[in-house]
Amino acid sequence: MTVPSDRGFSRRSFLKGSAVAGIATTGLTAAAHAVPAAPESFGPGRHEIALLVNGKEQKVTVETRTTLLDALRDGLDLTGCKKVCDRGSCGGCTVLMNGEPVTGCLVLAMDAVGQSLTTVESLTEGDTPHALVQNFVKCDAMQCGFCTPGMVMSSLACLQKRGKPTEEQMRTDLSGNLCRCGTYGRVMEAIQRTAAGGTGGGK
Amino acid sequence: MKPFTYVVPKSLAEASEAGKQPNTVLKGAGVDLIDRMKERLQTPERIVNLLPLKDELAGVAVEASGELKIGATTTIAQLEQHEALANPALAGLQAAAALTASPQIRNRATVAGNILQFTRCWYVRSEAFHCLHGGRGPTCLAMTGENRYHAVLGWMDCVRVHPSNLAPPLLALDAEYSTRLGDKVRRRKFTDLFPAEPRAQTAEHTLEAGEIVTAIHVPKPAAGTRTAYCESREKLTFDWATTACAVKVVLAGGKIAAASVVLGAVAPVPLPRPKAAALLLGEAPSATLFQKVAEAAYAGASPLAHNDYKLVVGKAIVREALEQATR
Ligand SMILES: Cc1cc2nc3c(=O)[nH]c(=O)nc-3n(C[C@H](O)[C@H](O)[C@H](O)COP(=O)(O)OP(=O)(O)OC[C@H]3O[C@@H](n4cnc5c(N)ncnc54)[C@H](O)[C@@H]3O)c2cc1C
Ligand code: FES
Repeated sequence: MTVPSDRGFSRRSFLKGSAVAGIATTGLTAAAHAVPAAPESFGPGRHEIALLVNGKEQKVTVETRTTLLDALRDGLDLTGCKKVCDRGSCGGCTVLMNGEPVTGCLVLAMDAVGQSLTTVESLTEGDTPHALVQNFVKCDAMQCGFCTPGMVMSSLACLQKRGKPTEEQMRTDLSGNLCRCGTYGRVMEAIQRTAAGGTGGGK
Repeated sequence: MKPFTYVVPKSLAEASEAGKQPNTVLKGAGVDLIDRMKERLQTPERIVNLLPLKDELAGVAVEASGELKIGATTTIAQLEQHEALANPALAGLQAAAALTASPQIRNRATVAGNILQFTRCWYVRSEAFHCLHGGRGPTCLAMTGENRYHAVLGWMDCVRVHPSNLAPPLLALDAEYSTRLGDKVRRRKFTDLFPAEPRAQTAEHTLEAGEIVTAIHVPKPAAGTRTAYCESREKLTFDWATTACAVKVVLAGGKIAAASVVLGAVAPVPLPRPKAAALLLGEAPSATLFQKVAEAAYAGASPLAHNDYKLVVGKAIVREALEQATR
């Protein structure tokens, strides 16, 4: 799939770009125009990259300036991660990169090539939703729901890292996710229930 | 964001060659850079990504000499969690890392990027305002505008503050930094990284275009060294400091044999306060002594219309840091 190119990209700006070398090994492809001894470079035009999302390698066309958040949402239709502040200040766009939560709005999609990404969609892939998701529902850990996917991802990372987190650890691990409805208490309840059920580490 | 060419260097030599080209910027994680590019405050034609140079730039190691070497692209989370930091001599550095931003940002942001980040002044960081430090207007708008979060010390014609959490404890620990520019490799004192006269038209740091910070070195702390870092903020977590203080004390026989005091978030550069630190020498820790040091740390302050609270709060933070380091 392709990220819409209505963000100021033009053929002219593409042609202004410097040497572009095609490399297959990293899963990146670009118009080949190899210049010896010059570093590899991409863009500014569009090109295809491969992202490893939820265990599957997926091709997506991006510009060098496309953020991971935009590549996931607009390119791969993984709209669980939300674009809220787009400046790293709310956590709505939280996804896991190599198991660690990151804000996709401040990561270039190019930087995510070769990294293992996990989005909230992975938790509802099978027939039964992940225990954490079930516990979010049981504990009524959402109101408007907009911060929820990000909250779930930070909660998942907390469980995977800590096993049975203490309240202080939960507070630390959730501190990058803002909820204007104030559901924090119930989110922590959902984490604790999941930890007690012993299903935090997997499905 | 304006379109740009994304350069993937295979070696430091390639990176520094590419970094010297006009209209080119170096990128760590890009947390600060992408933010500024979204605001169109920075519109480079080329970005040189330093993250692939893991062997050269990432990781924390204790060298044979006992010196701690922190690779430039080590993330703030990796620094915070490194076993070498579980040491009273480095407690200030660890606390400063742990208090930075959010888990999501600490997992990405690099140590060098944190130290080299651009100011958070809301006038400079908004395209709508035309101020001198941003190169878009004739004067510092914060000086007479909304300046709650701005400087109270050491400012000249621009009242921005230096926001880095990591810089004050590194200064307190007498850290050094290595850089590479073309073939030139240099190692200097951390104080050289920040401008002596932080004017509006001076950059946040003294690096030349394309000069890559490769590592930060913390000398082996003397026996009895203890550091602490404290900050005031408006929220309990995930907030910028309104004032910050890093201290180092070396205790010998109940007396303070060596000390440094460095302030953060109150001046255009992270600000060592050697005169305040000198008051600690030869003395035993006490509340009265710490009060004197706190007063001296803020001596000569010139608060603005909306930020004189920083003097009261900032002094309490100096005392708290000293209490923690000598507890
Ligand atoms: C919501 C939010 C909250 C935050 N809260 C805090 C906070 O509480 N305390 C705090 O200290 N910071 C805070 N930050 C700032 C954050 O820590 C920095 O933006 C981050 O550390 C920058 O690191 P980076 O690797 O992303 O740098 P980049 O954005 O990649 O680079 C920053 C600058 O440094 C230059 N640079 C980077 N690496 C090198 C190198 N090796 N050699 C030469 N130049 C280099 C780049 O050219 C650029 O100019 C916050 C940021 C956000 C978005
Ligand atoms: S949208 Fe990324 S942190 Fe708010």
